[in-house]
Amino acid sequence: MLRALPPLLALLSLALPALAPEVRALESTPTRSERARMTLASALDAVAPGQPFRLGLRQVLAPGWHTYWRNPGDAGTPPEIAFTLPEGASATGFEWPAPERIPFGPLVNYGYENAVLLPLTVTPPATLRPGDVFTIEAQASWLVCEKVCIPEEGVFRLDLPVEAAPRPDPALAADFRAAEAALPRPSPWNTALGFEGPQGALRLEGPDLSPALVKEAHFFPGEWGVLDHAAPQPVQLAEGGLRLGLPRGAAPLPAGPLEGVLVLTDAGGTRSAYSIAAAPGAVPPPLAGAGAGAGLGAGLPLWQALFWAALGGLILNLMPCVFPILAMKAMAVARLSGAARGAVRGHALSYTGGVVLSFLALAGVMMALRAAGGVAGWGFQFTAPAFVAGMGWLMLAVGLNLSGVFQLGGPVALGSGVAARGGHLGSFATGGLAVLVATPCTAPFMAAAIGAAMLMPPAATLAVFAAMGLGMAAPYALLALAPGLADRLPRPGAWMERLKELLAFPMYAAALWLLWVLAQQVGPEGLAAALAGGLAVGFAAWALGRAQLARGGRGRLAGRGGAALALLAALALLPALATAPAASAGTRASAAEPGAEPWSEARLAALRAEGRPVFVNMTAAWCITCKVNERVALHSEAVRDAFTRRGVAYLKGDWTDGGPAIAAVLRRFGREGVPLYLVYPPGGGEPALLPQILTEALVLEALPPG
Amino acid sequence: MAKFLSRRATLAIPLGAVLMPALPRLAQAAPVIRAPAPDFAAPDQDGTMRRLADFRGKVVVLEWTNHDCPFVRKHYGSNNMQALQKQAAERGLVWLSVISSPPGEQGHVDGAGARRLTTERGAAPAAVLLDPESRMARAYGATTTPHMYVIDGEGLLRYMGGIDSIASNRAEDVPKAEPLARNAMLAVADGRPVERAVTRNYGCAIKYAPGA
Repeated sequence: MLRALPPLLALLSLALPALAPEVRALESTPTRSERARMTLASALDAVAPGQPFRLGLRQVLAPGWHTYWRNPGDAGTPPEIAFTLPEGASATGFEWPAPERIPFGPLVNYGYENAVLLPLTVTPPATLRPGDVFTIEAQASWLVCEKVCIPEEGVFRLDLPVEAAPRPDPALAADFRAAEAALPRPSPWNTALGFEGPQGALRLEGPDLSPALVKEAHFFPGEWGVLDHAAPQPVQLAEGGLRLGLPRGAAPLPAGPLEGVLVLTDAGGTRSAYSIAAAPGAVPPPLAGAGAGAGLGAGLPLWQALFWAALGGLILNLMPCVFPILAMKAMAVARLSGAARGAVRGHALSYTGGVVLSFLALAGVMMALRAAGGVAGWGFQFTAPAFVAGMGWLMLAVGLNLSGVFQLGGPVALGSGVAARGGHLGSFATGGLAVLVATPCTAPFMAAAIGAAMLMPPAATLAVFAAMGLGMAAPYALLALAPGLADRLPRPGAWMERLKELLAFPMYAAALWLLWVLAQQVGPEGLAAALAGGLAVGFAAWALGRAQLARGGRGRLAGRGGAALALLAALALLPALATAPAASAGTRASAAEPGAEPWSEARLAALRAEGRPVFVNMTAAWCITCKVNERVALHSEAVRDAFTRRGVAYLKGDWTDGGPAIAAVLRRFGREGVPLYLVYPPGGGEPALLPQILTEALVLEALPPG
Repeated sequence: MAKFLSRRATLAIPLGAVLMPALPRLAQAAPVIRAPAPDFAAPDQDGTMRRLADFRGKVVVLEWTNHDCPFVRKHYGSNNMQALQKQAAERGLVWLSVISSPPGEQGHVDGAGARRLTTERGAAPAAVLLDPESRMARAYGATTTPHMYVIDGEGLLRYMGGIDSIASNRAEDVPKAEPLARNAMLAVADGRPVERAVTRNYGCAIKYAPGA
């Protein structure tokens, strides 16, 4: 019945778009159970004679249930399908999207949960004519398991109208796109793989592999039992390299290459799959001893890491970032000269404690962020604009305190204020402040030690950071250990007031520097907000100062109230900073790529108004799929050449910060994240959406003819 | 110091993370062919304790089973398993069916249940071993039902793997498949080497008891 009606149906669906999904002929009647809903789905609404197209077994699974990959792991079997096709037609077998590890007790299976589409290619007979109907019949069986396994089977039928040109089905496009994106593509990396006894390893080398990009990695062997399916595969990462431990299973190694799929999860949480095939040889060595390009810090033994960390900490005292804090510390030391030996020692120890504990706290937060899947590098706190602005205000407040605008330490000037009163808490706080401000400076000095530290067990990591803190606090700790030194310090006197006022200026300079850092992150609006906050802090300091000078309780109250209000106003600006749009996102991304301009809606509109074709690439620093696409497809000679010859403008958008402008574009094209590739034809018209996995041929084909 | 500073230090800033997924592991790795098979002590359907050492001098076949698993049903429904058990008995081999499902999980039975199943299905194992804490399954690294092991008279493991070569749950595949477990069992009984000592076992995942 349906078979005779496709032209009429097409007409109907045009006339009554609301009814179209009901009468669609491109997805078979489902086979349903409480566990699974299976259909045979076609990527096309109408097929063309002799032109291959995609078909898929579309699985929607109830929560907790799963079906299997081609190697099902410890138990289970993959789905099977057999076609009955008209004479002259052919069908391939399933292609397998990257599976998940599905643990069950001590066992691990490889399969799919929730929903998956297993695509395959069908070629209709070349002898078909427009107006014919191409009928596909298939019998499929699958095992669906939760704790128990239920074998199911179904018979499917699709009646596809034949037209002169293939007509895609927009309703299923997203499902097919997701399936194609999850298919493994050839690995672009140098591969070595080998085993000895029960252990083995896979080692990949090449650009795009780095600890910052790869969050998780797992190798799924194509053949059953060669690897221990349930065993963890320890990952080692370095700049330009990845090594995965592969514990052996009971089955013998294949005579030829060992084949499988490597699944990488990038820092943004996106999975990408790469097919790997390599003849097993000797176990590839760990990355630590690798040649050029591999991580340099990775192999540092603990004592060396500790030594370099301590030395780096010591040198930090000479870095510009810490000058303002040192200024504060110098004040405190000056005050101490002539003080009792025990007091000097106490302050030195408090300061050392503050420094070391702050280093440990930062390391702990960083490790926690990484464990939770974030991309926290050293100095991560400086990537938050609100933190930078807050630090800037704090520096300003400390400077105002030193300038004498207000005297007593309120909560704002904890460091200097409490220290001024001789409290150990003050020394401790100064130490903490010094560490917070110093971290951006630590990078070049302690890279190797930090790199090694992050590869160590947590206890060793913390030890390295503690060593760094001890190194930084060493000059002051010496005061405690060698009390004779304190006696040589100059005597206190009127010069201290001058020194104090003078030291306010490094603090103002520090505030200025922080605002400059902020300007890189947030653009003019954010900067204006931060400056307004600075104004409020200044007012608060003045009001507090007046309150301190006031004789009456009323004046004191008014001053303090004013100060508190101004501070609240400043704090109220912080959320605005957190959401402020990035200033230079575009320039950052394209800086590395000649020929690319930063993306903006305005620039895109301008280029389109000129009638030029435009290629849009939405990417992010943490997106490994994006980087591989750029390397294998976008940076190829042929593609670059085609861009030039055909006058294609290349716009690149950087979504590293997850900004709303690019997010809106992604949403408009039905994507949750990057990569997104769009080709705008010359002279206007809707853009073509490219798949998330690019090849050189695919890009060349998608570009408008020159 | 200079050397330390110069070496691409800045590139290495965000360097390095060891990601060690903390995953449950089999308490013991899979046993090794031609090595002594793990010993066991488990009650049979009548409550008699059975130990591997009791069968020294005899060839022992272990069959992990779960009567509600579709793959087990394939081999009992087609009478394949019962035929193998009878053949083993005729040749003087000791066939032990092992049930490792804990209480509340599919396949779990008590002694009476095991006796009833044997009668109902016309099965002929020498004994059915009850392993509700999955200790024996852990010792052998058993993963599926069915999962087959052959141990020779000296207590050495000679075969582990599938019942046959076609990993399906369709009974019509049984005659088409290469009878891997049968071949192994007869080879050991005849004193011949086992051609394929480790093969792919297929079936339902064993419902392991938690913990241990």
